[in-house]
Amino acid sequence: MNPDLNYEYALLLPEFILAATAALVLFADAFRQELRVSRRLLPWLAVLGALVAGVVSLAYLDRSDDFAELLTIDDFTTFFRVLFAAIVVVLILGSHEFVERHVRHVGEFYALLLLATVGAIFMSAARELITAYIAIELLSFSLYVAVSLTLGDRRSGEASLKYVLLGGVASAMLLYGLSLLYGIAGSTQYAEIGAAFAAGTADFEWALVLSLALLIGGLGFKASAVPFHMWTPDAYEGAPLPITAFLSATSKAAIVALLLRVFGGPLLPAIDEWQWMMATLAVLTMAFGNLIALQQSNIKRLLAYSSIGQVGYMLMAVTAISFETSSALLLHVAGYLVTNLAVFAAVIAVHNRTGDERIAGFRGLAETQPYLALVLTAGLFSLAGMPLFAGFATKFILFQAVASEGFLWLSVVAVIASTVSLYYYLQVIRQMYLYPPDGDAARWRPSFTALATTGGLLLGVVFIGLYAGPLFRLADGAATALFV
Amino acid sequence: MESTGVAVAFWLLSALTVGGALLVLLSRNLLHALVFLVVAFLGTAGLFLTLSADFIAVAQILIYAGAIAVLIVFAIMLTPLASRDNANSLYAVPGILLGLAVAALVAFAALDGGWPELAGEALAERGFSSTVAAIGELLLGRYVLAFEVASVLLLFALVGAIVLVREEPPAGDGEGREP
Amino acid sequence: MIPLENFLLLSAALFAIGFYGVLARRSAILILMSVELMLAAVSINLVAFAAYLDADGLTGMIFAIFVITVAAAEVGLALGIVLRLYRERRTANVDAADELKW
Repeated sequence: MNPDLNYEYALLLPEFILAATAALVLFADAFRQELRVSRRLLPWLAVLGALVAGVVSLAYLDRSDDFAELLTIDDFTTFFRVLFAAIVVVLILGSHEFVERHVRHVGEFYALLLLATVGAIFMSAARELITAYIAIELLSFSLYVAVSLTLGDRRSGEASLKYVLLGGVASAMLLYGLSLLYGIAGSTQYAEIGAAFAAGTADFEWALVLSLALLIGGLGFKASAVPFHMWTPDAYEGAPLPITAFLSATSKAAIVALLLRVFGGPLLPAIDEWQWMMATLAVLTMAFGNLIALQQSNIKRLLAYSSIGQVGYMLMAVTAISFETSSALLLHVAGYLVTNLAVFAAVIAVHNRTGDERIAGFRGLAETQPYLALVLTAGLFSLAGMPLFAGFATKFILFQAVASEGFLWLSVVAVIASTVSLYYYLQVIRQMYLYPPDGDAARWRPSFTALATTGGLLLGVVFIGLYAGPLFRLADGAATALFV
Repeated sequence: MESTGVAVAFWLLSALTVGGALLVLLSRNLLHALVFLVVAFLGTAGLFLTLSADFIAVAQILIYAGAIAVLIVFAIMLTPLASRDNANSLYAVPGILLGLAVAALVAFAALDGGWPELAGEALAERGFSSTVAAIGELLLGRYVLAFEVASVLLLFALVGAIVLVREEPPAGDGEGREP
Repeated sequence: MIPLENFLLLSAALFAIGFYGVLARRSAILILMSVELMLAAVSINLVAFAAYLDADGLTGMIFAIFVITVAAAEVGLALGIVLRLYRERRTANVDAADELKW
């Protein structure tokens, strides 16, 4: 052991808790007959683990430390730790009935969710390429398997195959880019790469551009940026709904965290080389994500393309990177997560009742279940960026920050894309309010946990929309840790 | 004298690697393709030896040429009907052009870079010393966290593979059988 | 001494061959083999850079070890998915997996 390095394992306590809970869930599931545990206990075990991990993460507020120069534990990491833990809690609470009915291998399902969260946290905390790469793969591998877990649905295996093959190619591209980066900088430490880049990279015009292109391409694939998005709608459609939600929430936020760490840190001196690539990617993603979403008839595919469009806004902020845009981006990501989970929680609750994935399946929801129709409407309006809701406040701050960095044209594109997106969100809302229910017109009640999660998320959407101040201060603090 | 030997070894091994890789693409029979893949991997392992990376060379042989090859043999044997039709996809012709473009681009980038190579003396001084001990120390010291995360990843690849291949449990499994 | 560029060119060739295989092949198993070729190219790059550029000469090798480890896990996982698809559809070709429109 190198005595100069800090091996304070206590810094990683939240991740240990998550991983231990994952192992415990697996164990309890495998030996449930011997231990006389009901399967119904597993989601609560997972929720408990994630809750504890989230609360423990708060103990690291205002700290700035590193683990063996592999991970940074600062406010930025804490921000994402709490977010990711909260996502798992909300997701499991909102979907455990769905999981019981529509997912193969329930125990493994929850364990995979927890482990994917560990991967996501390490992505946001990594300060070195090898660790970052392993973290990306931990998240991806969990998702490859999780996508294939829909019970009795042939689309699930197919989605998983496409995801794993394309994911493998993307990993290879990413790795080739990383290997060139290592060759150029002579180190895998972000700090040393940054120093090497600041000292000048005139010797490597083409190698540098190629390595950045491969890096952005590989990460763009994981973030499902156009033109690397081919897997996204298929994986979203084949996956069980909670995993679709997870793909659009944690996996996107983790990539954003990684992009901020890498492009806001070591690669900042080379900004002239990659800014145009990122801008192109952002424009393509905003435009095509929102345009293709217009013609979808399946709610999962619609939300897939909608999340691609949302990634475009985030990439736009990475293009115009600075302290202000980073804190605006963190705020936007948090608001997006709350909104998106509200939409998915409502969709899952409706699906539990109707079992229908078509957008037409939402017909007459305003009559049969007005509360869920309201939550869904609020969520979709928030995604489109309508006032009163979280999406408006966070998008407003984000677009303004990007414009003030000299990227007014990108902001204009984003505003147009948002307007287009309103159209397809309204399609869903139209089905709920303007049409009578197709078959069963009786009123029904969602379960208690579904009511509680959707209620909490609805409150969050409205609260952030009306009063974004507290969240903004948190995002600001996290961004400060990044740009010391 | 010694450098001539290394140069000859390099060219032979590169020919083996690239030839094997090309034949993987040309063979229609999955098992033949696999054999050529193993040849390419063995060539790569040899190249690692010319770079004095003894540990990685051996790991390459054990993991790629050994474990992965056996795994793929199993997969080929378990999917007998799948091995019949291995014609190329629609993208075969554009693929050649794209592949050549990628090769040209990457090669150009490699030649363009003014890589800050260590000076000849520094390299000569290093000579050959086994990397095994140093790598072991680094893996369990400097990079212990990455090592641990990788082991979690392997465990879950294992669990994932089992979950994927296991038959779906009959309906009502779990709840019904519970005490 | 062999110039570093030779190794980089070899790795470029291997990467392009793998890339072509991914595009041109229909069998999921062959696509997987092509991905492995691309990853082998990455390992060559990493080890060559470690040997020629890095003062301690080991970081790249550690990276290559992780690449090899992850690649092995990926093959296991992907083949599991292939077997599952084969059981459902009697094929392992990617273009037979067409129930989801691309």
